[in-house]
Amino acid sequence: MASIGGGGAYSYSLTVFSPSGKLVQIEHALAAVSSGTTSLGIKASNGIVIATERKSSSILIDDSVVEKVAVICPNIGIVYSGMGPDFRVLVTRARKSAQAYWKIHGDYPPTKILTQEIANIMQQATHSGGVRPYGVSLLVAGWDFNRGPTLYQVDPSGSFWAWKASAIGKNMVNAKTFLEKRYNDDISLEDAIHTALLTLKEGFEGQMTEKTIEIGVITVPTQEELEAGKIEGTGRFKPTFRKLTEEEIRDYLAL
Amino acid sequence: METAFALTGKGYVLLAADTTAVHSIIKVKTDVDKIKELSPCLLMAYSGEPGDTVQFAEYIERNIRLYHIRNNFPLRPPSAASWIRRSLADSLRSRKPYSVNLLLGGYDTSTYMPHLYWMDYFGTLAEVPFAAHGYGSYFTLSLLDKYHDPEATVEEGIATLKRCIDEVSKRLVVSPARFKVKIVDKDGVREIEL
Amino acid sequence: MSIMQHNGGSVIAMVGKDCVAIASDLRLGVQSLSITSDFEKIFPVTDRLFVGLPGLATDVTTLREQFRYRVNMYTIKEEREIEPQTFAQLVSSTLYERRFGPYFIEPVMAGMQKTPAGGYAPFIAATDLIGCLNFAKDFVVAGTASEKLFGVAEGLWEPDLEAEDLFETISQTLLNALDRDAFSGWGAVVHVITKDKVITRKLKGRMD
Repeated sequence: MASIGGGGAYSYSLTVFSPSGKLVQIEHALAAVSSGTTSLGIKASNGIVIATERKSSSILIDDSVVEKVAVICPNIGIVYSGMGPDFRVLVTRARKSAQAYWKIHGDYPPTKILTQEIANIMQQATHSGGVRPYGVSLLVAGWDFNRGPTLYQVDPSGSFWAWKASAIGKNMVNAKTFLEKRYNDDISLEDAIHTALLTLKEGFEGQMTEKTIEIGVITVPTQEELEAGKIEGTGRFKPTFRKLTEEEIRDYLAL
Repeated sequence: METAFALTGKGYVLLAADTTAVHSIIKVKTDVDKIKELSPCLLMAYSGEPGDTVQFAEYIERNIRLYHIRNNFPLRPPSAASWIRRSLADSLRSRKPYSVNLLLGGYDTSTYMPHLYWMDYFGTLAEVPFAAHGYGSYFTLSLLDKYHDPEATVEEGIATLKRCIDEVSKRLVVSPARFKVKIVDKDGVREIEL
Repeated sequence: MSIMQHNGGSVIAMVGKDCVAIASDLRLGVQSLSITSDFEKIFPVTDRLFVGLPGLATDVTTLREQFRYRVNMYTIKEEREIEPQTFAQLVSSTLYERRFGPYFIEPVMAGMQKTPAGGYAPFIAATDLIGCLNFAKDFVVAGTASEKLFGVAEGLWEPDLEAEDLFETISQTLLNALDRDAFSGWGAVVHVITKDKVITRKLKGRMD
């Protein structure tokens, strides 16, 4: 029997179980994630930080258009490890889902609902014919009225969990050990951003600059901001998720 | 002219419907049964567009029967009414809606309660102590307002029903020759000869 | 005559001090013939939110079932009760889904909305039959007696009424408007909603 990789005959058809009860293609997808660049997320008492390294294979690439931390809607952002093109597809789907929710409810989805929505898309790819699983793991950071700030990880199988802090990608094992040592429940967002940078630095190849990392943060709105409601002029709520600018990242790195 | 009416009493529902089939200005038949026995304790009087009526009534009849066979238990009157209403409401917004008006009388063997529902071809559903469809309703409803008693015995109920039939025969321009009357109670359904 | 007048019926909602009220008549008719005097058109959505559905009676039942389904799905999926503001959006989008073949219903909503501070604020809203939302600060009306309701409410309503006074105001407004409308009446029902309880009362009025 022809055997490529470790799955033998069962590695071809995604929807066929191997005798040991595994869907081998999903394990291969996880392997693709594990060889991707490291990303991490930390939940703080007053916010969440998600961060990732952004590596170009050539200095000739104009990396100003590369985007690894994506805004889904004003209260949710995501980051990935694994295959870039798959991530792009998921970002599009997630944004559409968020807008569809807004059209019905007049509000953006809570983090858990949006995460479930993405997880469903990823799960469907594991039991549909003629497709392969998404080669990415995601970290979803969001804030909503109901549950406050929450951080989720979604895997290619479609399973998802809420984390206080997590890491995915090439250096995830070391990064998680590092986070376990550093994490405590009443860490502030500022401290969390520094911890994120320190964790990324572990096993970072090359120079860590504002050009080679990306950071996104959830800032929990204050009571005053909540009571003020919609901002005059725009008629919208103040976004709770935003990406840090290169200047801001540079300032954090300088400290 | 087509008329159907019904009333509840102590532990029973009485339904009456005329028995004429009309084509243009001609009476084609005078012994039509316009009250279907949907399940052991459920009756449905139907009126409306000829063709639609029988077609729709049989569709309902077969599906209520199917439910009974599948579950070994008949659909209870409130649930049956709700399902039939939904069928009419869906039909209303289809390409060719059924024009069928219904009176649904049933006895709930679980709660020991008689139920009477008034339903029109829009899918309007109302539970009522007494009801009527057709031109006869303009005479019978006011009579029933005066004489209906929810605690009446079967004999008293039939007496009230007779008043209605007599009034329709007396006042309606083209009054139906005969009425078929059926009753549903804890013992099931049966026809009553007046 | 318009299909909106076919079965008759009217609903009104009012804002008070830390309370809201919603009320309707109980008539179901077919044009000028009355069928029943206990046809409710106001339904509970949550413990502190009600929706009134005046208009074509078949659509009262259909939409009631539709909203119950959607709210149940929302509650299970989101693991929380729906807020009045969100429910209003849901009503609007449900009706607009049928933009070119509408349900002949003009919903009215009344409830207590959670505030960021942890309290509750009065909320009322109404839409037309294709879901155009109207958030009012005083009162909203709909149904065959809507013109009359507007007139009487304009005269009787005042800001910051306590629950009992609001009950009196909405009851008198409704009853007096119903008396001038042939298609509404035959009794009425009033719900007064505060943050922790709902008081429901049936009114008799003129039964002709």
